[in-house]
Amino acid sequence: MQSENMNNIILSVSDLKTYFFTRRGVVKAVDGVSFELRRGECLCLVGESGCGKTVTALSILRLLDSPPSRIVGGQVRYNATDLTTCSQQQLRQIRGKEIAIVLQEAQSALNPVLTIGDQIIEQMKLHLSLNNSEARQKAINLLHQMGIPSAEEVLAYYPHQLSGGMKQRVLVTMSLCCDPKILIADEPTTAVDVTIKAQVLDIFRELKRTRQMSIIFITHDFSVVAEIGDRAVVMYGGKDVETAPVSQITSTPKHPYTAGLLECLPDISKDVDRLSSIPGMTPDPLRLPSGCTFHPRCPRAMKVCSEQEPPLTPLSKEHKVRCHLYV
Amino acid sequence: MKKSWLRDYIIKRLFYSILIAWGILTITFILVRVGPSSPADKYLANLAARGQDPSQVIAAIEARYGLDKPLLQQYGEYMFNLLRGNWGWSFSTSMPVMELIKHHWVYSFQLILLSSIFAALLGILIGIYSAVRQYTKTDYAFTFLSFIGISIPNFWLGVMLILVFSVKLGIFKTYYDTTLPLFSIANLKALVLPVITLGTGMLAAYVRYTRSAMLDNLRKPFVITARAKGLPERLVIGKHVFRNALLPLITIIMFDLGSIVFGGAYLTEIVFGIPGLGQVSFNAIFANDYPVVVAVTIIGTLVVLLVNLLTDITYTYLDPRIRYE
Amino acid sequence: MSNRVKMAANSTVLPSGSSLRLISYYWRRMTRNRLAVFGLAFITFLALVAIFGPFFTPDPTEVDFEAKNLPPIGFSTTQSVYKIETDEFITTKVTGTWKHPLGTDRKGRDMLAMIVSGARVSLQVGLLATGIAIIIGTIIGVMSAYLGGWADNALMRFTDVMMTFPFFLLLVLIVFIFGPSLAFIVMAIGLTGWTGTARMVRSESLSLRTREFVVAAKALGASDGRVVFRHLIPNVISLIIVIATLSIPGVILAEAALSFIGLGDPTVPSWGIILEEGQHSLDTAWWVAVEPGIMLLLTVLAFNFLGDGLRDAFDPKSNI
Repeated sequence: MQSENMNNIILSVSDLKTYFFTRRGVVKAVDGVSFELRRGECLCLVGESGCGKTVTALSILRLLDSPPSRIVGGQVRYNATDLTTCSQQQLRQIRGKEIAIVLQEAQSALNPVLTIGDQIIEQMKLHLSLNNSEARQKAINLLHQMGIPSAEEVLAYYPHQLSGGMKQRVLVTMSLCCDPKILIADEPTTAVDVTIKAQVLDIFRELKRTRQMSIIFITHDFSVVAEIGDRAVVMYGGKDVETAPVSQITSTPKHPYTAGLLECLPDISKDVDRLSSIPGMTPDPLRLPSGCTFHPRCPRAMKVCSEQEPPLTPLSKEHKVRCHLYV
Repeated sequence: MKKSWLRDYIIKRLFYSILIAWGILTITFILVRVGPSSPADKYLANLAARGQDPSQVIAAIEARYGLDKPLLQQYGEYMFNLLRGNWGWSFSTSMPVMELIKHHWVYSFQLILLSSIFAALLGILIGIYSAVRQYTKTDYAFTFLSFIGISIPNFWLGVMLILVFSVKLGIFKTYYDTTLPLFSIANLKALVLPVITLGTGMLAAYVRYTRSAMLDNLRKPFVITARAKGLPERLVIGKHVFRNALLPLITIIMFDLGSIVFGGAYLTEIVFGIPGLGQVSFNAIFANDYPVVVAVTIIGTLVVLLVNLLTDITYTYLDPRIRYE
Repeated sequence: MSNRVKMAANSTVLPSGSSLRLISYYWRRMTRNRLAVFGLAFITFLALVAIFGPFFTPDPTEVDFEAKNLPPIGFSTTQSVYKIETDEFITTKVTGTWKHPLGTDRKGRDMLAMIVSGARVSLQVGLLATGIAIIIGTIIGVMSAYLGGWADNALMRFTDVMMTFPFFLLLVLIVFIFGPSLAFIVMAIGLTGWTGTARMVRSESLSLRTREFVVAAKALGASDGRVVFRHLIPNVISLIIVIATLSIPGVILAEAALSFIGLGDPTVPSWGIILEEGQHSLDTAWWVAVEPGIMLLLTVLAFNFLGDGLRDAFDPKSNI
C-alpha cells in the first residue's frame, strides 16, 4: 500500500507518542497516533478538546517545551527526515519554510509589542533572504490576496488594533509568506463568530485550489470537516480511532465514537425533543481507562473492551478503525 | 491624532507631579514645625555648651527663623523661599544650604549612576539566563544567591568588603579620597567597593524582577508562533520574549529608585566616606544642623518624583497598547 | 512596602478562611518548601533566644576593660600592650574562652549578651512596626476601595505623596526631629511604611467589591462597616499575611541602619549599633563587625524565605 502512494505522501506520522511528565503523574497526551498526509489534500484531525489534537500538531514541529513534555516514541517523516530526532538546525529550516502552523486564538498567537509588518517580514528575511523592500512588497501582496485591502497600513499596526477576523487573516498570511508545502491549522474556526468562520473556510478552500496546499486541519466540529476535508482522522484519548475519507466517514462511521460525534450534530430535518450527546465525560488524562479508552462511554462496549486495547484494523484500502467490533 | 494625545498626557502628568511636589513640601514643613525640638532648641543645645546667654539667643533665633510669626505666614515664606532657591543656612558648614548641595551632589550622582548601570546590565542578563534555564541547577543557584543579595544589609556588606579588601588584603584604600579628579581611573578604582556594596542589593533585585518578567512571557502562545516560524532561539528570547518583559521591568526598576536605592546610597556613602549628600546629611544630624537634613530629604524626594514622571511618560510612549488607543 | 512585596501580591490570593482544614491545607503546602521551613525554624529559634536569652547571659552594657577585645571561641588574635615599666610593647596571643563565647568588644562587653539584646530589639521593632504599618495600610486601603469617589481620590493622592518620599530619608528625618527612642523609631517606621500595603489592599478590595457575595450582603441590608469587617477584610487576610512577612525584613534592616548611623536608641544594644562600633575596630576586633551582620543576614533571609513560601502556598496557580 505504501509503495503505491509513495510519491503522493508528503508527511507521515507513525505511532507518535508525546507524554507530559508532571508532579502528579504522566499525562499520555498522544499515545500512538498514525496518519499520512497526501499532497494537495486537506486532512482533518477531529475530536473533543483534550483528545490530543493540538499536542499532535505541535509535536510534528517539536514545538512543545521539553522539560514537562517529551516525544517518547514514533516518527514524523518529512522528505526522508525524521522530525522527531533531527537536529535543531534542520528543524529551524523546516519550520515556517516547509511546514507552517497557525495556532488557535489569533490574539494571543501574535506578539503584542511588535508590528504586524515586523512579524511577517522577519520570517521572510530569514528563510527567503529578501531585503526589506522586497519582503514588504510580498507581504502587501499576500495581505491583498487574503482580502485585506489596506495592506500597507496594516503592516504598521499592532495586533490589538485589528479586529478578530483581520487577526486571523494576518496569522494565515504569516504562515504562508515563505511558501510552505504543508500548513497545519489548529482550530482556526473555533474561537471566531459565524461570519468570520465562513470567511476563514473560504480562505482555506482558496488555498487548496490555488496553491494545491497540503493542509492538516484540526477541529472538533464535524460540519467543518464535511465542508473542507478530504480525509479525516478521528482522535480520542490520545489515539487515532478511525481514519477514512470524509464521504465515507460521515455516511458510514464505523467507530462508535465517530458515530456519536456525528449524532451530536443537530439535523434540521429531524424532529427531536432532545439533542443527543455522548454520555459521560472525557477521561482524566492522568487516569485513563484500561483497555480501549472509550469503553466507559461506548454504547456497544464488550467485555474485551475493558481488558485489551483494540488494534488498528484496516477495513478497506482507505478506511482504518481501532475497535474490537471489527477485529 | 497620536501626537497631541501624548502631549496632553504629559501635561496632565506634569500638573499632577506639581501637585505631589506641593504635598511633599507641605508634609515636610508640618513635620519640622510639629516636632518637639524646634530649631531653636537644637541650636541652643550647641550654644549652651559654649556659654552664651540662652534667652537672648532664643529671641534672636526666633526672629531669624521667623518662628515668632503665625504658622500660615511661616508656611508661605517657607514655600516662597524654597521656590526661589533659598533653602536656608547651614551653620555647621557656614554656607547656604544650596551651596552645600551644589558641592556634593556629584558624588552621590556618580555612585548611584555607576551602581545602577552595573546592577542593571548584570542583573538583566542573569535574570534572562535564569528564566530560560528554569529548574536547572544554575537557576537554583542564582535564585538562592539573589535571595542572599536582597537580604544582606548593604552597610554590613560594605564593612565586610573593607575588612577583606582594604584591611586584610590592602587592595583598596579604606576611605574615599576626595582629591581625585572625577573622570580618572583612580577615581573609578576607588569606587569599586562602594559600587559593589550599593549595586549588590540592586543586582539581586533586578535578577528576580527580570526572571519573573521573562517567565511570565515565556509560555505565552506568541512564543510558540515565533519558534514555529523557524526563528533561531536567541531571536525568540532576545526579541520576542524580552521586549514584552522589558516594559514592566523598566517600570519596576525605576520605581525601586525611591524605595531602596536612595536609602542604600545614603548608607554606602557613610561607610566609605564618600562626600555625597548622604554624608552631608549624616554630618548635619550630629551637628544638629536641621536645614541640611530637611534639604537632603526634599531633594531626594523631588528626584524620585522626577524619575517617576519620566518613567511614566516613557512607559506610555513605548507601550504600543497604550499609545495606539 | 517595596517592589518585591508588590511582586508577591501580583499572584492570586485565596481566602485564608477560619476553617481548620483550610489552614492545615495551606500549612502543608508551605512546608513542602524546604527554605520556608528553614526560615520558620530560624525565626522560632531567634524568638526563643530573644525571650529567654537575657536570663542566661550577662548584662550587655557592663563594661570590663580588663577583658576587652577578646576573640570568639575557637579563634585567637594577638594583642599588643604597652608596658610603661619596660618601655616596650608586649604582644600576647589571646584565645577565645567559654566565658565570652562570642568574644568581647573594645570595652569588654560580652558579645553574646549584646547579640541577644539585639535580637530582642530587632524582633520587637520588626513585629510592632510592621504591625502598625499593616494596620494603617489595610484600613486606608479597604476604606479607599470601599468608599470610592472623592474619598478614594483624596486618600490615594495622599498615599502617592507619602510613597514618593524615599523610605529611609523620610525615616531619618522623622527620627532626627522627634528623637531616637525605641518607641519613636517603631512609630516612625510604622507611619512611613504603610503605603505599599495600602495600594495592594485597595486593589484587592476593589476587585472583591464587585463580587457577588458583597452585593448580596448589602442587598440583605448590611451596613458599610459590617461589610468591611465581616466580608472584605477576611478575604484579604492571606494577602496581608504575605505582605507582613515580606515587610518585616525591611523594617529590621531600617532599624539596624538607623542604629548604624547613630539614630538608634543608645540605651539598648542593637545589631546596628554593634556593627557601627565594629566598623572602627576592624583591625583589632573584626568579629565585632562580623557577628551582628551575620545575624542580620540570617534573620532577613529567614523572613524572606518564609514570606516567599507563604506566597507560593497561598497562590493557587503555583504548582506545589
